[in-house]
Amino acid sequence: MAVSTHAPVADKRLLPPSKSLIGLIRPDTSTGLVDWLTTVDHKKIGIMYGGFALFFFLLGGIEALLIRLQLMYPGGTVVSAQTYNQLFTMHGTTMVFLAVMPLNAAFFNFVMPLQIGARDVAFPRLNALGLWAFVAGALILNLSWLFQWAQVFGWFTPVSGQMDIVPAIGWFGYAPITGKNYSGIGTDFWIFGLQVLGVASLVGSFNFITTIINMRAPGMTMMRLPLFTWMTLITSFLIIFAFPAITIALVELMFDRFFGTNFYHVEMGGQPILWQHLFWIFGHPEVYILILPTMGIVSEILPTFARKPLFGYPMVVFSGAVIGFLGFAVWSHHMFTTGLGVVATAAFSLLTMAIAVPTGVKILNWIGTLWGGHIRFSVPMVFALGFIWMFMMGGFSGIMHSAAPADAQQQDSYFVVAHFHYVLIGGALLAILGGLYFWVPKIFGRMMSEKVGYIAASAIIIGFNVAFFPMHYLGLTGMPRRTHTYLAGFGWETWNFVATIGAFVLGIGVLMVIIDLIRTVASGKPCGSDPWDARTLEWSLPSPVPAYNFAHNPVIPGRDAWWLHKYGKKPEQEIEYEKTGPEGIHMPSQSWWPLVSSVGLLVVGVAMALHSAGVPYCGYVAIGGLGLSVVSFFLWALEGPGGYHLTPPDDGDEPQKVLASYTPEPSQKLELTH
Amino acid sequence: MMLVSTLKRCFVRAFLAGLSFFLLLCVSGCSFKTKQSSLDPKGPIALAQYDLFMVTVWVTLFIFVTVGGALLWVVWRFRQRPDDDDDHMPNQSHGNPLVEVGLIVASILLLVIIAVPTLRVLVYTFELPEDEGSKLGQWYQGPLTEEDAETILTVNVMGYQWWWAFEYPQLGITTANELVIPEGKVVKLNLRSADVIHSFWLPKIAGKVDLIPGRANWMWIKADEPGHYYGQCAEFCGSAHAYMLFRSDVLSHRDFEAWVEYQKKDAPEALEVSVAAGERLFAEKTCIQCHTIRGNQYAMGIKGPDLTHVASRKSLAAGIMDNRGVDGRIDRLKQRENLFEWIKNSQHIKPGNLMYHDDAGLKTVPLSDDDVHKIVAYLQTLN
Amino acid sequence: MNSDISSAATVDALHHEEHSSTGIENKKLMMWLFLASDCMFFGTLITTHLIYRKLYPSGAAEEGILNIKNTFNIELTSFSTFILLMSSFLMALAVSAMHKGQLQSFRKNVLGVIFFGLIFLGCQVYEFTEFSMGNPTAGIPPLTLSNSIFGSTFYLMTGTHGTHVAIGVLWLVAMFFYSFSGRMNIHSAIDVEVAGLYWHFVDIVWIVIFTAVYLIEYI
Repeated sequence: MAVSTHAPVADKRLLPPSKSLIGLIRPDTSTGLVDWLTTVDHKKIGIMYGGFALFFFLLGGIEALLIRLQLMYPGGTVVSAQTYNQLFTMHGTTMVFLAVMPLNAAFFNFVMPLQIGARDVAFPRLNALGLWAFVAGALILNLSWLFQWAQVFGWFTPVSGQMDIVPAIGWFGYAPITGKNYSGIGTDFWIFGLQVLGVASLVGSFNFITTIINMRAPGMTMMRLPLFTWMTLITSFLIIFAFPAITIALVELMFDRFFGTNFYHVEMGGQPILWQHLFWIFGHPEVYILILPTMGIVSEILPTFARKPLFGYPMVVFSGAVIGFLGFAVWSHHMFTTGLGVVATAAFSLLTMAIAVPTGVKILNWIGTLWGGHIRFSVPMVFALGFIWMFMMGGFSGIMHSAAPADAQQQDSYFVVAHFHYVLIGGALLAILGGLYFWVPKIFGRMMSEKVGYIAASAIIIGFNVAFFPMHYLGLTGMPRRTHTYLAGFGWETWNFVATIGAFVLGIGVLMVIIDLIRTVASGKPCGSDPWDARTLEWSLPSPVPAYNFAHNPVIPGRDAWWLHKYGKKPEQEIEYEKTGPEGIHMPSQSWWPLVSSVGLLVVGVAMALHSAGVPYCGYVAIGGLGLSVVSFFLWALEGPGGYHLTPPDDGDEPQKVLASYTPEPSQKLELTH
Repeated sequence: MMLVSTLKRCFVRAFLAGLSFFLLLCVSGCSFKTKQSSLDPKGPIALAQYDLFMVTVWVTLFIFVTVGGALLWVVWRFRQRPDDDDDHMPNQSHGNPLVEVGLIVASILLLVIIAVPTLRVLVYTFELPEDEGSKLGQWYQGPLTEEDAETILTVNVMGYQWWWAFEYPQLGITTANELVIPEGKVVKLNLRSADVIHSFWLPKIAGKVDLIPGRANWMWIKADEPGHYYGQCAEFCGSAHAYMLFRSDVLSHRDFEAWVEYQKKDAPEALEVSVAAGERLFAEKTCIQCHTIRGNQYAMGIKGPDLTHVASRKSLAAGIMDNRGVDGRIDRLKQRENLFEWIKNSQHIKPGNLMYHDDAGLKTVPLSDDDVHKIVAYLQTLN
Repeated sequence: MNSDISSAATVDALHHEEHSSTGIENKKLMMWLFLASDCMFFGTLITTHLIYRKLYPSGAAEEGILNIKNTFNIELTSFSTFILLMSSFLMALAVSAMHKGQLQSFRKNVLGVIFFGLIFLGCQVYEFTEFSMGNPTAGIPPLTLSNSIFGSTFYLMTGTHGTHVAIGVLWLVAMFFYSFSGRMNIHSAIDVEVAGLYWHFVDIVWIVIFTAVYLIEYI
């Protein structure tokens, strides 16, 4: 089956459809929507992760701005107390689980396989399940808004008479406020949403770890891995060890609500403090799950724009691992005010201080990277420098919290709100936006606007500081968090007003980035394969990256392989390529089952919450949803991995040296083998 | 390229201008002596916590100046200048173990500076001091059992959605939303919750400790000088969490004893006709199901605050409404307005509270303005 | 490499010639990671149980509701523990048979594992029914999900384990029938091995639960 000689890349759309092991036609040759729904290509999955995450990020941002509007003046009446509580619950849950985590996952998916010289992740279909389960979980959480509106219009009333249909329990959901006595079906939406999101994170992490450990290109030893890949690995390990704790805690809570167990029923001997322990055993590693990948992003951007290798690479890797490890040993510093006793408090206090050391190591090594460099202030670099600065400030207030007695004044005050927004906006978000500007040329082959980038970066950094720096003051002068209003006369008026102004400036900056991103995808200026003169393997590929990533498997000469290849003085520093055999490149087949099984999970979540609201037959619908998932897992297994072969084009889009012996035969350009 | 470099300059300038304006605001717009400020300690615990906080501030400020300064200098010194060659290749140094280990050791040393006072203050706040002078028998002149005379004043703090009960077991009195303690004496607070988790926070006297159902938490406090202090629940506890405030009056010994004497008395009998009508309405309109008024044989409810001396309190509705005039004393007129407003519109003022409303917020008891006026008149006699 | 790329044999070989940096198959590595994560699941459940056990020596906030030692039927549980251990032995035989490509032997052994797994599940269902009804004539109070904290932690933990066994049984049943499709060959040994890893793990977890939940009541 010959192809026109003009086709630069072998095209799977020209292949006839293949059948699965049980005779079902697989969507291998699909295009358009079906292609996106059934794709197993890690790059497309990464793009979809990013797209969905940005949508939910905007939603969480709108919730944040409503919160700020309500607090602009004392005695604000923009929203009611209950709506406010729902807003901060959904804002926290959304930003942690539906924005920052999936944005990180978007980069994991897109960048990591390219960085290690792999053609895909270890389990492509499982990767798709991670994506669709994330979407299902996000929908379960956010569909609660629709039911809340239905309730407002009088179309829907839960039998319990409790009107909080959107969760109003805080993202931490401390028992016993999550019990049936104190909260309505919002809590059920929350429980099932988080459970499904947990499935998504877990399968994603199993996949990433297997990929990084097992699918590295020849020569890509562990100590040659790019820093971002290292942080992906550590983060994935954190996820697989941290998520079980919250999964079990949520199962216990679900049993308490649905089947009358007593895990958190105080009258029957349940201990609400157990929830706090389980939640924070998950919750503290979660903090590092959010921040470690972004540290990886910054560790890629800084060397690129300073034109120098990362200072103290082994130390940065090791400190990341130490942070991950210690992250499991400090959970109780979220509970300093719960009366743990002097020994436990002292131990967790000291361990928390200890975690400042590896974090400090990273900051010092980043400065060491810049030292003696040749620093270009491109947009990603502006974000990365902003990250270091803001993250450092967040770290300082973190050190202040670690002194447990001082924390007794700061806990649950706006001081803490300031602290973690410095770490999560000033830290995670700035790095993610930096990563976006850095990798969009690779993802879409188009450059984002520099002008908009600088203006947006200024708006974001300035707006952020105007919004959140005053919160340190507010907290220290006694303003507690999670309060829907405050009385005049406590000295909080000025700075709450200023914070609201800052939040809107921040919001405008973020909106500019997203609008420019959409414009870029549609009609941005095309760019070359390596616009930043970067260092790692992904920049050796054409932009956008072809479906099979590497036409020929690279053999890695050392750390920062692409940089060595470009500027190395010795011949052994060049990347060599293993010639792809005449049979072509094995590509995985696409599949409907990840999507269908996720739809099953979505049905389970929504139906269980409605069952709790007393809607008839919802129990059966939930069982049906579970059945749909189970059946699709069976069909998934029966359908088998499938796969077909593509032959790379002869001109080789790789900007490089294919082994001399390789002479492709035009007649074998595209061949169906299965 | 020209445009971009101009933009870069604009960016830097705008950033610096914004920063300086912000710092100016910070200097001019901040007072640390506000009503609920933890930076204005009035007791030994708050002071110890404040001192420790300042240690962390100075240490981190030092790191901020050195590391931040280094970062700024490096970024400035090694920036690419307009006339630089784009392809200039800096020295490809990979790291320096000696520098790295040295910096690690330095950061550990800085943390030790914080760790030592942390442990000291930790032990201090967690141990009830053996203060002879604070024992009840040493300073309190009223009747006490021998056992009570040997112990310090204890208050059982009970958190409810969304108000506080303060019980003084040694003195046999109970009050709500206003914690009255003597000046200069150690007081032990037993912290319990009736429903969900709350947190007791009185910033000028002490940092917070949680009230967790099924768990026996406690803390000790001491106030250095008489005054009116402001506190608030600091753990999210449901829809009206923001309205779960409380007040604390720190009194001199003499005033405290007078206050105790007064609180021990039963409520006066309703003698006037209009007051008696209010008392009757208080029973008819189901108020008695939730509120206790000692001296009123029908009012024995325990779901709501004890109202025996409600008119002697300086605030209403868990601290939301202030009954005081400009002189800091109770203004009877203001109190009457507040009581009327509260009884009439309690769901509007504090959504979700239990006063004669069902879960859906619908009124279960009809109340006319006249009824409310009568009830207020009765409550104002509980003085 | 065989140049006849359209032959089925070559395609199979290609699919199974996965690139692996460590030499461990992806599927096996993935299963190990899942099991590591699963350890945390069971760790959380068992810890919850033990903490509440220590907090409430009688098993409930109120004394006298339960009589755990009499409720338990240690002979039956010991029997089902033994059965589960034996099933692990058969599972090992099944894996070994598959590695040698002996499909008949594989089927026999897997059938044995399924049978033993079902016996274990049957014992658990019987046990749960007995426990939850109690025996008023013998003075044994019922133990239910909601009447005590011990009931909650006990049923959730053993129930989670039972679910794991049930999933394992379903998995093996599916594999048993699949072995008649003609598509199972020596390359499928890795799939059987992964199922075996899972089965052994579930078995080991039961040993821990049996010790920490049942036997501990008799010390």
